[in-house]
This record gives sequence, C-alpha cells and structure tokens, in this order.
Amino acid sequence: MSMLGQTPATEIEAPISTFEGAATRPAQSYWNESWERLRANRIGMGAGILIVILGAIAIAAPLFTQFLTHYEPYRLDLLSTFQPPGQPHLLGTDELGRDTLTRLIYGGRVSLGVAFLTVGLSLTLGTTVGLVAGYYGRWVDDILMRIVDTVLSIPAIFLFILMSILFRPNPITLAMIIASVGWGGVARLVRGEVLSVKQRDFIMATRSIGARDLRLIAIHLLPNVLPVLIVAASLGVGQIILIEAALDFLGLGIQPPTASWGNMLTNAQSYFFHSVWLVYFPGVTIFITVLASNVFGNAVRDAFDPRLK
Amino acid sequence: MPETLLEVQDLHTVFKTKAGVVKAVDGVSFEISPGETLGIVGESGSGKSVTALSVMRLQRPGKIVSGKVMFKGRDLTKVSEGEMREVRGQDIAMIFQDPMTSLNPVFRTGWQVAEPVRLHHGLEKAKAMDVAVSMLGKVGIPSPATRARDYPHQFSGGMRQRAMIAMGLTTTPKVLIADEPTTALDVTIQAQILDLLRHVNRDFGTATILITHNLGVVAGMCERVMVMYAGRVVEAGPTVDVFAHPKHPYTWSLLRSIPRLDAERHEPLKPIEGLPPDLIDLPTGCAFHPRCKFTIERCSRDVPVLNRVGDTQLAACWVTQSGVELKGA
Repeated sequence: MSMLGQTPATEIEAPISTFEGAATRPAQSYWNESWERLRANRIGMGAGILIVILGAIAIAAPLFTQFLTHYEPYRLDLLSTFQPPGQPHLLGTDELGRDTLTRLIYGGRVSLGVAFLTVGLSLTLGTTVGLVAGYYGRWVDDILMRIVDTVLSIPAIFLFILMSILFRPNPITLAMIIASVGWGGVARLVRGEVLSVKQRDFIMATRSIGARDLRLIAIHLLPNVLPVLIVAASLGVGQIILIEAALDFLGLGIQPPTASWGNMLTNAQSYFFHSVWLVYFPGVTIFITVLASNVFGNAVRDAFDPRLK
Repeated sequence: MPETLLEVQDLHTVFKTKAGVVKAVDGVSFEISPGETLGIVGESGSGKSVTALSVMRLQRPGKIVSGKVMFKGRDLTKVSEGEMREVRGQDIAMIFQDPMTSLNPVFRTGWQVAEPVRLHHGLEKAKAMDVAVSMLGKVGIPSPATRARDYPHQFSGGMRQRAMIAMGLTTTPKVLIADEPTTALDVTIQAQILDLLRHVNRDFGTATILITHNLGVVAGMCERVMVMYAGRVVEAGPTVDVFAHPKHPYTWSLLRSIPRLDAERHEPLKPIEGLPPDLIDLPTGCAFHPRCKFTIERCSRDVPVLNRVGDTQLAACWVTQSGVELKGA
C-alpha cells in the first residue's frame, strides 16, 4: 500500500470521483447475490431444508433405529406380520414382520445415496465432455456430440434391463447405470453454455496472456458454466429418485432384502387391500422427497440461472 | 531509426468458409520499432484485427498460410505453441475492443490483472496481487487496493478498459496491441483511455500498435499509420504526411468523408460510394477500383504493389505511382 501513497506519474484524475460512491458499497459477488435471492425464497428454502433433514436421517440411520424404532431393518418377526401403524411399530410391519419405519430410513440411505451419486457421476462426466466439446469445437465437438446423441437415443429402459442382468445392481453400480444415460443431457447443456461463453472476449483475452487450454477450460470456463450445473444438479435429484424408484419397483434396481423406497412398493402391491400402509408410507416418502427436490431445484434456478436475471 | 522490434513480412491469413476461402490478410508487411506507435486503420472486415491476432497466433479458426512474423530473431509463425504462450502476455500484450466482456465476470478484477505475472513470472498470489494493485493505481483506478477486490461488473466501461491495460502492462511487454480499445466507450472516456495509452507508450517505452477505424484517433496518437483495404495494405507512412497528402484514393476518400466543423451549412457529407468488396470474390486488379474516382484502365487488370510514392510514403496505387496528384471535389 505504501508505494501507492504518492500519485503515480501516469494517473489521470478527471472522471474518477464519480465512482467513489459505488466503491463504498460492499462487494456483491454473483454468488452472494444468488445466495441472497435463494434465501429470500421461503418455500424453496423449506424444501431445501427438508431434503437436508431427510439426508441427515438417512446418514444417521443406525442412531434412529437404535433409539426410535428399536428394530433392525432385516430382522424378521413372523409373529407380528402386517401390524398396522401404532405401538411398538410406529408405521406398522410388512409381510415378514419387518418394521416399516426402520426400512424406510434404511431405504432412504439407498434411494438418496443413489440419487446423489448418480447426479455426481452424470455431472462429472457430462461437464467434462461438454467443456471439451464446446471449447475445442470442430471435429472434437462432432465426435463427442455424436456419442452423446447415440447415448441419448438408446431407449433407457432396455439399457437398464440389460445392465441389471449383466451387473447385479448394488447402489454403486445402479448409480453408474443411471448415470451412463444421464450424463448425455448434462454434456449437451454444458456444451451449449460453453459455446456462448466462448464467444466473449475474456476467453480471447485470457489466451492472449499466454494461458494454456487446460487453464482456460478448468479455471476460466468452468466457473462460468457452474450456475447451469447447479441448476441441473438440483433439478436432477428429484428425477433420479423417481427413476431409481421405478427401476427398483420393476425389480431392475436394488434387490431385496436390501430396502429401498422403490422395492418396498413392489412388495406392497400384493397386500394393497388389507395393509394399505405398506403402499402409503413409501409412496408418500417418494412423493414428498421428489416434490421437495423439484421445488428446491426451481428455487435454485430462480436464484442462480444468469439467464433469468 | 532504432532497430526493428517486430517485423511482419508478407503475411497471409485465410478463413475457410462454406462460401469459399476468405483472404482476411493478403500479403501484409509492416514493422515497428521500440517505443513507436503504429496505427492500423481500415473499415470493418479490412483485416486489421486478423492481422493483429495473427501476430499473436490467435487467429483460429483462420490459418496463417504464408509470411513471417519476426520477433527477437525468431519467426513467431514457426515457433512451438509452448514458446508462443511465453510470448503472449509477456512480450506482446493485447487489449480488446469491448471492455464489458473482456474481463471474466466470475473473478475479482485484481486476481485477473495479476494473472499474467502469475503465469509468466511465477509470482505467488500475494506478490502478484501487489503488482496488480500498483498497476491499477498507475492506470488511474482510484483506491486500487479496494477496487482490486471488486468484480468486473462493479467497474464502469472506462475503468474496465483501464484494468485491461493494467493487466497488459504487469509483465512490461515490448509490444502492446490495442484492438479498437475505444470503440465501445463513450467519447469522454475515449479521450481518457487514449491519453492513458499515450502515457503508457511514453513512460514504459512500450511499442504500441493501435487498431482503429477512427482517423481522429490515429491523428492524435500515432507516428506512423498503415491503411488497410480488403486484407491488403494500401498506404503507409508518417501520419502527418499521409493525412496531409494521401497517396491512395481510398485514404483520400476516407479523409474527405470526415465531417468538418468549419464546413458550410447544409454542405452534404461525402461518403465513399459503393460497398466494401466481397472478400471471397475480390474485384480484379486493385480491390478498390470499383469505388475509385481516379481509376485508369490498368486498375481493373493488375493488382497494384505497395511502392514508394513521394518522399516518405508507400502506396499501392497505379494512379499515384504514375505521378498523378489526388485532387477534386
């Protein structure tokens, strides 16, 4: 600072006083501003908090079963099958006498875990492909985007059936299976965004100071497509929970006895008429979680999407 | 005359498009000495920006098909990409037309201004930031230490252009290429930025290549001027001489088309008739001949070569090379 004390020779003073007012206002970055907007959206924040709570419950599942339900997720109790909600089984039991609430909590681990892992995998792969395709353009873009087109034109359900026969799905392979289709959309989205950001002069300016391609892509382009990614991620979670539940329901996903929200519904359909809670609780859980994800996703988009400003 | 710093020899850059090959730069040669200011003028599409980008080898998707760019004894069109990256930003810096988009919106201004020194001098973050802050101060940003923490959107257009200039200067480059640095700014700010560039040229001894379509800017800034038309140099020489006695009809028409304050009331403006040529399908002979008032038979047949006309100027024109003076209403 001290070397700036005296007025440098080249300083030009004329118009500068007009900007002083602006300088006193605290620096508001894009992120600060977006965060403020998101926080102001009460419904969106409520939905976000709900997802965080569900996630926390899933992570802390053993604690909950230890102190709240007192049952193991896989422990059979053939003497108390089809118990309606009440005491000691808060949400009743299924055909093998397993505690529904315990299984819901453990199922949340699987369903939410698969959803977040899938989103993470799709984003990582899709973003990389999209950045590279959009930045290099020409034949690189052609090849990568044709691959994306191909992936997106495969009927997903057949791919899932095939894959679940080839690899017996556990949560990690299931996430990889869903992500193997999901990344295509992300790649398209990111590529489109890169194509527009690339046109702006700062990319040329950064190249003109001697930055290498990797630096341009990872340090200068990536943060500029981040808003789109955040939006895609938050809207994606709900979708993937639904896909995962559907796959489990069809028997293509997580296999019993491991509990997931989807395969709890599969079992439940046989007992729909005399034990409706077996359908009701997993169904409502999926519904609430997906709804919350979508509401939160929309709130995030309203707050972060630069195109909506 | 001090020794030449940067010499461009017979540079050809083309763009392949669906409609055909665009010869954006078609045999351009010029040189610049340390501390000198060279103006490159021409209308949109005349190849001035592509010439500058070709010097930096940033002309993608265009291609340099022939010619040399001699700098420090090396031909920049031949060196490796790695060596070229060392030249960019360290030896030759560039400022772009639109300061509103030439800073990355997601990073703090100081961080960006410091980027060239981090890249080239390997300075650590804090030291690089000191350099950036002091440079921001030198280009006339008030309270630079505070403003360095601001994001570009908190800067006005003029201040962003100052920041861009600061960024270019942090590595004390030998050559500064300013590609229409004032086009996107309003008139009062234009004057300040030009003033700043003049100071930079004088105080840092940076050779400056100023690309513009504004003849007034050239008159006030540049010792020498080069006029481009359809990818070729049509006239070059000391600014004073070129402006006083243009030796190419295009320059002559350009100068004549400038509205004058001392003109008679209601005197009509004198535009250059016709349209700029189609770069894919150039007119035969001199590219300017369909719009030229002085054209002779040879003009539509042979492409004129850049030759000495008068004591100090070069012109690519058959008419003036045959000794005819450009005059008329």
